[in-house]
Amino acid sequence: VTNERKQELVLERTFNAPRDLVFKVWTDPEHLAKWWGPEGFTTTVETLELRPGGNLLLTMNAANGLIIPTKGVFQEIVQNEKLVFTTSSFEDERGNAQLEVLNTVTLTEENGRTKLTLHALVLKSTPAVAGSLAGMKEGWNSSLDRLSKTVSNLKGK
Amino acid sequence: MARTATTSDVFNAVGEAQRREILEYLANGERSVNDLVELTGARQPQMSKHLKVLKEVGLVSVRGDKQQRLYRLNAEAIKPIHDWSKSFERLWMKRLDRLDDYLQILQKGAAKNDRKKKG
Repeated sequence: VTNERKQELVLERTFNAPRDLVFKVWTDPEHLAKWWGPEGFTTTVETLELRPGGNLLLTMNAANGLIIPTKGVFQEIVQNEKLVFTTSSFEDERGNAQLEVLNTVTLTEENGRTKLTLHALVLKSTPAVAGSLAGMKEGWNSSLDRLSKTVSNLKGK
Repeated sequence: MARTATTSDVFNAVGEAQRREILEYLANGERSVNDLVELTGARQPQMSKHLKVLKEVGLVSVRGDKQQRLYRLNAEAIKPIHDWSKSFERLWMKRLDRLDDYLQILQKGAAKNDRKKKG
């Protein structure tokens, strides 16, 4: 995510699964924890209140002890069709989230398959996060390549 | 300041160009403070400050005594940053990949195995 680019993302994906199952794995804490990720992290769904204004709290735990909590609030829920929720991550020492995103997930059924559309809109990203993300993307590619060698060695342990 | 490092600390730590440079050098092996001062052209107090920040967030480890302190990259700590630094899009693409896999597993009734697919 560079500063110039519009901080908005639309993705479509079709799953070979019925819509009610797709909705279920998004909204059932046990299921959500299984796939939310990222890779290498164990996710715990601490809170999931499936109602407008309801809270969402996920913690992602890396093997090295790093913990990434993500807080969210549900805005809109249409059973099997739509989920709208905010997520806030990377709190600073005063508890202010440095990244806030509005996520809209829409599900449509097509011949027993389910098309998912994700619309993610960055509501807020502080210079610290935007800067480090942009810095890494633009100025850190070569070193990241080098570092990723070390990293992939770890991964292949 | 003996508080636990948070992710935002780690992002702040790598958000600074000279600290990224230090990590690059450390990716090639252990270095002393003097080595790093020489390599980067930074002043010693500034270098100590940077290394302190990197150490506090767990990106580097140190060994040795006061005479010769050797810093090295903690590659394990770099990994989450590496993952997170991939664009927002990539994060979501991978998440949807995992969702896809998970839905397949569920439908095969193999969810109990909780098999983790390595990518």
